[in-house]
Amino acid sequence: MTAQAANTANAILTRIPGVAIALVALIAVFSMASPAFATLSNLQNILIQSTILLLLALPMTLIIMTEGLDLSMGAVLTLASIALAITVVATGSSALGLAAALAVGLAFGLLNGCLVALLDIPPFIATLGTLGIAQGLSLVVTDGQSVVGIPRALQQVYGGTFGGVPIPILIGIVAFAAIHLLLYRTRFGNYIFALGGNREALKLAGVSDRAMLVATYLVGGTMAGFAALLMTARMNSAHPTAGIGLEFDAIAAVAVGGTSFERGNGWLVGTLLGVLVVGVLRNGLNLMAVPSSAQVAGIGALVIAALLIDGLRSRS
Amino acid sequence: MRGSTEDVNINFERNRQWITQRLLQLRQRISLVSSEENCPSVRGKVCERAMDVAPELAARRDAAKPVPVLFELRGISKQFPGVKALDDVSFEIARGEVHMLLGENGAGKSTLMKVLCGAYRADSGELFHNGKPAEIATPADARGFGIAVIFQEFTLVPYLDIAQNIFLGREFRGRVPGFVDRKRLYSEARRMLDMIGFDIDPHTPVHELGVAQQQMVEIAKALSQNARILVMDEPTAALSDRETERLFAIIGQLRKSGVAIVYISHRLAEVFALGDRITVLRDGRKIASVLPSETSPDDLVRLMVGRTVDRTYAREYCKNPGDVLLEVKGLASDNGISEISLAVRAGEIVGLCGLVGSGRTEIARAIFGADRVTAGEIRLLGERIGGSPEDSARRGMALIPENRKQQGLALGRSVGDNIVLASLHKMFPSGIYVPGRASKTARAGIEQLRIATPSPNRSVSVLSGGNQQKVVVAKWLTADARVFIFDEPTRGIDVGAKAEIFRLIDQLVQKGAGVLMISSEQAEIVHVCDRAYVMRASRIVGELARAELTEANIVRLGMHQ
Repeated sequence: MTAQAANTANAILTRIPGVAIALVALIAVFSMASPAFATLSNLQNILIQSTILLLLALPMTLIIMTEGLDLSMGAVLTLASIALAITVVATGSSALGLAAALAVGLAFGLLNGCLVALLDIPPFIATLGTLGIAQGLSLVVTDGQSVVGIPRALQQVYGGTFGGVPIPILIGIVAFAAIHLLLYRTRFGNYIFALGGNREALKLAGVSDRAMLVATYLVGGTMAGFAALLMTARMNSAHPTAGIGLEFDAIAAVAVGGTSFERGNGWLVGTLLGVLVVGVLRNGLNLMAVPSSAQVAGIGALVIAALLIDGLRSRS
Repeated sequence: MRGSTEDVNINFERNRQWITQRLLQLRQRISLVSSEENCPSVRGKVCERAMDVAPELAARRDAAKPVPVLFELRGISKQFPGVKALDDVSFEIARGEVHMLLGENGAGKSTLMKVLCGAYRADSGELFHNGKPAEIATPADARGFGIAVIFQEFTLVPYLDIAQNIFLGREFRGRVPGFVDRKRLYSEARRMLDMIGFDIDPHTPVHELGVAQQQMVEIAKALSQNARILVMDEPTAALSDRETERLFAIIGQLRKSGVAIVYISHRLAEVFALGDRITVLRDGRKIASVLPSETSPDDLVRLMVGRTVDRTYAREYCKNPGDVLLEVKGLASDNGISEISLAVRAGEIVGLCGLVGSGRTEIARAIFGADRVTAGEIRLLGERIGGSPEDSARRGMALIPENRKQQGLALGRSVGDNIVLASLHKMFPSGIYVPGRASKTARAGIEQLRIATPSPNRSVSVLSGGNQQKVVVAKWLTADARVFIFDEPTRGIDVGAKAEIFRLIDQLVQKGAGVLMISSEQAEIVHVCDRAYVMRASRIVGELARAELTEANIVRLGMHQ
């Protein structure tokens, strides 16, 4: 190879985002390690299983771009799922159930937004508090028991197909397209970039930065409500600990995807790839019979490795 | 927005003559200034005529009045706690003029501009727009009058592109509610960029642009808001020569189309190259408004200096300095400073002055070991030191930083804890803390510096600024420091406490310490120091002995460019 060709290859290589390399590497490793991994049905499984995480990681990207954080997402999803299950069991209407889940999500989104934007409580503390509230309410309402009796029709949301494509994958595609349009094509999307990048500029432009911040957390709550629908359909019930730790996976996916925690530098495609990295890692470790507690350690190590590699690459 | 900016779009050729003429003037001034500096005899000459403000200059005040006046500030006063930032200042801006605003650090330039753009409200005074009374209470009001400010800190969003930044908050609405009409966004942005001759794709993200390019985006943004008055705060501070020429060309174009420009500058050459009128502020007062043709760089320097200073700052200057305590040779750091050589002897207060951003604090940090040293050597009491702040502190150097609340004090702790903080390893070599011994040492420090606190156990956060400063000094005295570096020791301290801080510094040198004092207040340097180094652009450009230490000389060395 000539020196020039080597340079070109090098230049191309440094332009490929770390998260894409990580995804390819993980797929290669698991394909070799387990014959069950690289089958069509397993890969489809990974996509289906990743949709709940995607629904949380997308709004988490927006929130992190505003130099914020939402630790309450997993717990809010749990509470929304319980509200949904109780409503569906009581009324038999899936639509009312979804409305209940969205109401819970919106309420907590509004609460988070107000605490952060209006009362200036650091997002870490504010959403840690609402995490506790949502988790506690879930346990109180259910007395620690699962809510069962979900009708078959609702289960189809997770298990069914539409035109041959599993419904969760369709939901994931719609959610990604919607958030993508929101961030890159709307005025609100511009303001999200400005919230993290230069809040002073936004104020000087006469835009209410506080209102925009509240709206960002509202998006997070809404998406947690939709994710609760998928989670309830998947588990065939609502369980008061179902969503514990999901915010960890969501933040990990955003970080691995290359969204920076400062200056409003976010990338939705990166988040999508980050979600797949976490999904592949969990699935692959499952196939290799690694217990789920150890998987958490794997994800943690992955996040640190991804940030270290990105740091080294940007320096060189 | 659209129709009225058409007149800005003027053929570059038509302005070429004006620009060429200005640039020629600029080059002449630059060569004039540098030749003056290289002349060894100039220091003495400058000194002779330093403080005599020419009476005819004062008479020239308000002589220049081009018409028509677009905006006028009349009798503006603004008081901040402890300082009168503006005192009865009047300022006019005429259509199509470049009005230079000149003054030392803290003369009131920024405050005046903040009143104009609605960031501050004046305590008293009137505003007039086209001769009619006007009110500016918010930045939005100022924008309504066509006033736009380009601050040194840009108001750009790094991960949005150029077009999105230009129209941030004023996006063109698309057909679907909430969505942006992107076609219009980029075509309008293209038009704004063409107006200032900036040939770049408006899709380029702003974080990929250099400082000069970001500045152009700011200018395009101002024009898109139909700005008729453009305030620029030291716009060339971070630009190369080529970029500066480009900026001047744009300013020439804007001026020609009737935009008024208020240009804050520290560079005298620029003032003459660009200015149609020059206003000088000092101590929050307007000293003069003159035409460039009627004045000279020397006149301007004389107008700017001579701030009033409390007589009590004066001290007995050091006649026979002792041994060299601190010696720095050819120092460079990764923070940009280079070829720094200086010395501090026992019994001396040595000043380090220059404009804000000229590298003074960076020198202090490099000497103390807080920034990485890339070249040169530092000797403390004859021994070579280098590397870490711990090493410097142990060997008897103390850095009293500019921001004492963040860097100099443990605010949550008591006065006593803070005083012994840097001496713990000496007082308790075994590592076991003996409260009695600590509090005895703390009491000695409180007594020695007369710190106003009822007990060593009182939290340091409740003390006044002056007393907090004393606690920091007591900390280093307790640690047996011989060389003290004070970075802006009087910032945020009221006048009475200032005099006390200077007495304290004087006490230190009386006892045989050496002091390096950084200050933006040139008058303080002149009155307090035995000797001073003047910095410009990360280098030391001159040393002034006691006899030559005047504000005029400091300004001359620090400002000419």
